[in-house]
Amino acid sequence: MARITLENVRKEYGDVVAVRGIDLEVPDGSFVVVVGPSGCGKSTTLRLVAGLESVTDGDVRKDGESLVGVEPKDRDVAMVFQNYALYPHMTAERNMTFGAGSATDFDDAEIERRVADAAELLDIADLLDRKPEALSGGERQRVALGRAIIRDPDVFLMDEPLSNLDAKLRIRMRAELAKLHEELRTTTVYVTHDQTEAMTLGDEVVVMNDGRIQQVDSPQRLYDYPANRFVAEFIGDPAMNALEVAVESGADGARAAHPGFRLPLPDGDGLDAAVDSRAVLGVRPEDLSLAGADTDADAAIEATVTVTEPLGDSLLLECRVGDDRLKTQASPRSDVRSGDTVALTPDPDRLHLFDVEAGTALYHSAEGATAPDDGRTTRSPPATSEE
Amino acid sequence: MTLLETIVDAPNRAAEYLRGERTGDRFARLREDGLAVHAALASLVLLLLFPVLVAIVVSTKESGIVTGLADLAPGGNAYDNYYRALVELEFYRYMLNSLVMASVIVVGKLAVSLLAVLAVVYYRVPYKDFVFLFILFTLLLPVPVRFVPLYRLVTGLGWNNTVFAITVPYLASATTVFVLRQHFLSIPPSLVENAKLDGVGPLEFLWRVLIPMSKGILVGVSVIIFVYAWNQYLWPLVIVGDDLQVAQVGLGRLRGQAQAGEVAWALTMTGSVLTLLPPLVLLVLFRKPLLETFSIQRK
Repeated sequence: MARITLENVRKEYGDVVAVRGIDLEVPDGSFVVVVGPSGCGKSTTLRLVAGLESVTDGDVRKDGESLVGVEPKDRDVAMVFQNYALYPHMTAERNMTFGAGSATDFDDAEIERRVADAAELLDIADLLDRKPEALSGGERQRVALGRAIIRDPDVFLMDEPLSNLDAKLRIRMRAELAKLHEELRTTTVYVTHDQTEAMTLGDEVVVMNDGRIQQVDSPQRLYDYPANRFVAEFIGDPAMNALEVAVESGADGARAAHPGFRLPLPDGDGLDAAVDSRAVLGVRPEDLSLAGADTDADAAIEATVTVTEPLGDSLLLECRVGDDRLKTQASPRSDVRSGDTVALTPDPDRLHLFDVEAGTALYHSAEGATAPDDGRTTRSPPATSEE
Repeated sequence: MTLLETIVDAPNRAAEYLRGERTGDRFARLREDGLAVHAALASLVLLLLFPVLVAIVVSTKESGIVTGLADLAPGGNAYDNYYRALVELEFYRYMLNSLVMASVIVVGKLAVSLLAVLAVVYYRVPYKDFVFLFILFTLLLPVPVRFVPLYRLVTGLGWNNTVFAITVPYLASATTVFVLRQHFLSIPPSLVENAKLDGVGPLEFLWRVLIPMSKGILVGVSVIIFVYAWNQYLWPLVIVGDDLQVAQVGLGRLRGQAQAGEVAWALTMTGSVLTLLPPLVLLVLFRKPLLETFSIQRK
């Protein structure tokens, strides 16, 4: 068990800057997921914690002690790789015990006991005699997890461990990983490009892009109160719609004016400052509903359907509003065809405004948008003296 | 269809072709079966094998002078020739020396190359690619080019007439390093990284992971090295005396056994066949790993 602190960590490869000074606190026993598109520096960050890369600048600490210059083997961390990194010529059991002898002080009997425990925990007791080539992807990943578990490290580092599995297996292993963490409570840093994995697994989710942390928050707050357009569009599938609007003040409050619609904006922090300027209106497809005939036309967006995508559980509509595109989800058996004109009503509590240039969030229509509710809002650099 | 299957099936096929109605059709089917390709390959194999076959035939004759086709019938002197060469003329000694030399070179070369490759693959060495390129540059300086300085060095060390003289100069090998490096690069870096996180040291990693994982290619490379070492002639001829002399040089001495002013061709061919045997046995035994070695690819 350990707490990991990253302080202003930079990593450069020659002219390429992979990580541009990030601060992050991984509390003891937590499961933190780092998510971002490929090339955002998330894997590099993990490898910096593992010691497989050395920091160009900044500090990585474990329980307050700097890890800079400490060999990977002395960091007491175990890593699970995307390609499992099993030794192909060794049986599953040997794969699990091979490193344990070097990495720990356990004697052979202790290692044997731990292998048996881990095998039971991961349900791989029958597979221990097999070599990796005789194991399926999911089984290989369990063996790789088992290898990490029996070492009983301070920290688990997982680098896209589920990415090589097929979709169904990935969902099952995801649930098992969550259960495993529930039992072991070992501090875990988990890197993925899959936002669903991030949302379902993480106590906290770190969204990274372009070598910088965009937001650190609990999954729900990340979804409800994205700190900027990148987070807003990265988290959630299909992605949040973004429409450039002018924010106007009217007799009954502020409005978002678009060539295709004028939408009233409920009062909220930051709205006043945004009035009389241009902003990007963000609204999630699932927060737009097809309006009935009796809807207040004023609050609706008129849109022309261009593409319909039936997903079974819902009908995904791609529409055009003015020159902009908009996605929305309708009930699966709605009678909507491409070319139809529909009226869409957004949930008034689920609107967001972003700065046109910087993309930072200006306003969320939901209550409690800016007030930290449980101490889990966006955290600025961690208080380093906290002990 | 393998060559053997093609040959076995040939009469049936021939009958089919003869029954065929149009010539164009026949050609099409010939092409389809690849018979022409197989025939061409078979004749090429025969062409390559011909000198060896002649050598084997001649080694069974009394004088071994071949002047006409009739002389290519096997003779009855096989046992006498092989006994004379191996035992009376002590050709076995040369072969034994060659065996020692080749084995030492195989083991030594592998050891040196494996360590060099481990350094390039396991460690983060600055200018790694440049170092590797530098190793490749040594290909421009094979033993014959280094002859004179090497001779002075080896005699200066007092190694002339020792096993060191015919083995140590061969130990560094750019080709082996190259082949092994290409193979090791195909091993996922995460294996190395996992080992580093577990505190598995480089030598343990080499011994317990890299070598067991690379058995096939190591066997293949060993065969290549063995054949190369076995075929060395000029350097052993110069640097060691008769006690340590190798088979290729010994072969020349067999040829010197004149019979009434004639070159002893039968004995010479006997020696040639004997010299051919050890590499041939290795090639046959290890043809699979050998072929895999030659078709290395970065996966």
